[in-house]
Amino acid sequence: MSPHYCSIRMGALLLAGLLVAGCADDSAPGTAPNLSQLRNRPARQADRFGLPAIATVFIPSAQKDAYNAAQPVNDRAEFTDEVVAVLTAFGHPDPAALASVLLPDIQPVNTSQPSGFLNGRRPQDDVITAELGIIFGGNAALNDDHVDQNDKTFLAAFPYFAPPHLP
Amino acid sequence: MRQSIPYRGPLLVFVALAVAGAGVARWARAADHRDSTVLTANPARDIADIYSFRSPANPANLVLIMTVSGFIPPAEASNTFLDPGVLYQWKIDNDDDAVEDLVVQAFATGTGADQVIHFRGPAVPEVTGTTGRIPDGDELVQVALSTGDTPVTASAGGVTVFAGVRDDPFFFDLAQFQQIIAGNATAFNDPGTDTFAGTNVLALVFEVPITQLGGSSTLGIWGTTSQFTD
Repeated sequence: MSPHYCSIRMGALLLAGLLVAGCADDSAPGTAPNLSQLRNRPARQADRFGLPAIATVFIPSAQKDAYNAAQPVNDRAEFTDEVVAVLTAFGHPDPAALASVLLPDIQPVNTSQPSGFLNGRRPQDDVITAELGIIFGGNAALNDDHVDQNDKTFLAAFPYFAPPHLP
Repeated sequence: MRQSIPYRGPLLVFVALAVAGAGVARWARAADHRDSTVLTANPARDIADIYSFRSPANPANLVLIMTVSGFIPPAEASNTFLDPGVLYQWKIDNDDDAVEDLVVQAFATGTGADQVIHFRGPAVPEVTGTTGRIPDGDELVQVALSTGDTPVTASAGGVTVFAGVRDDPFFFDLAQFQQIIAGNATAFNDPGTDTFAGTNVLALVFEVPITQLGGSSTLGIWGTTSQFTD
């Protein structure tokens, strides 16, 4: 389909009030708008991320697109039921209380304290084991995946992540 | 506390499909799975992780990192790029109401290895919520995309930036977790196996003086990607 046809279809869908994830041509990194074209163009949210693994563990696939297009200020009202349902299925003793901690889906950062998950998130923080512990408590079969560190050493200086794996 | 997951019905199947969202499609193809539920047309729009931490080199700075396009294999490390149709943003709440007070924005121009990534912020957004736009005015700094071993960086106004391919910092035995969810295993292995070992990701890194983030020391941070709609 030509990019021009794609734009017309996008416009029609937007007029119809439907959320559009983007048609195939525009989502391939082949179009290169210049700077003056980018300014003051509206952009529709496609994904969002606060705490690690929250959306991927607790939000059913049927609601994934709606979750990704939503904003944290509405999280407790819109998604508490889903989080409670999964925590209940996992056997957590107080799903409602934990759900009120996990939502809204925002990473807290106290800049006057040393960083370390849950206060911010450093590259080396084992967030998965931290969250497995929160969810599964003393269940030793499930509260630790026993993968404690990255496969490469992080850098002490900018940009902090290790160089890529190259062929 | 129960010793096994008591319920293995459809409720938990979605977890197996959805864990680690971005990049699972690429990994699933490599592992010869056939699930189209999580396939995405645009990995460069799917956030893998968000990191926020005081710089170990200078604790007066906060480092903001967004990773996208997970599970890049070594063979594709130097030819995986950002999407110029996407606006990448960090949203910063500094008055504890879960609404962003400041945003940092990044977007790419150009395609391929000559991409340039443009950063602006921290700045008060024109509108809050899920429709964003890049306002008129000067950008803060731009940097060429890094495609190999050596990171290209740029600095302006106290801020340092990077954009490009890096080793994926995430580590998790995702494969074993999926076996547990599917009912094929009842526990993690010890030691576990990092499903993300040997893989790469695209990273946007924005290091900024904490004094530019508002007067409060308690912040809430999240990342978003948005598709330009015209």
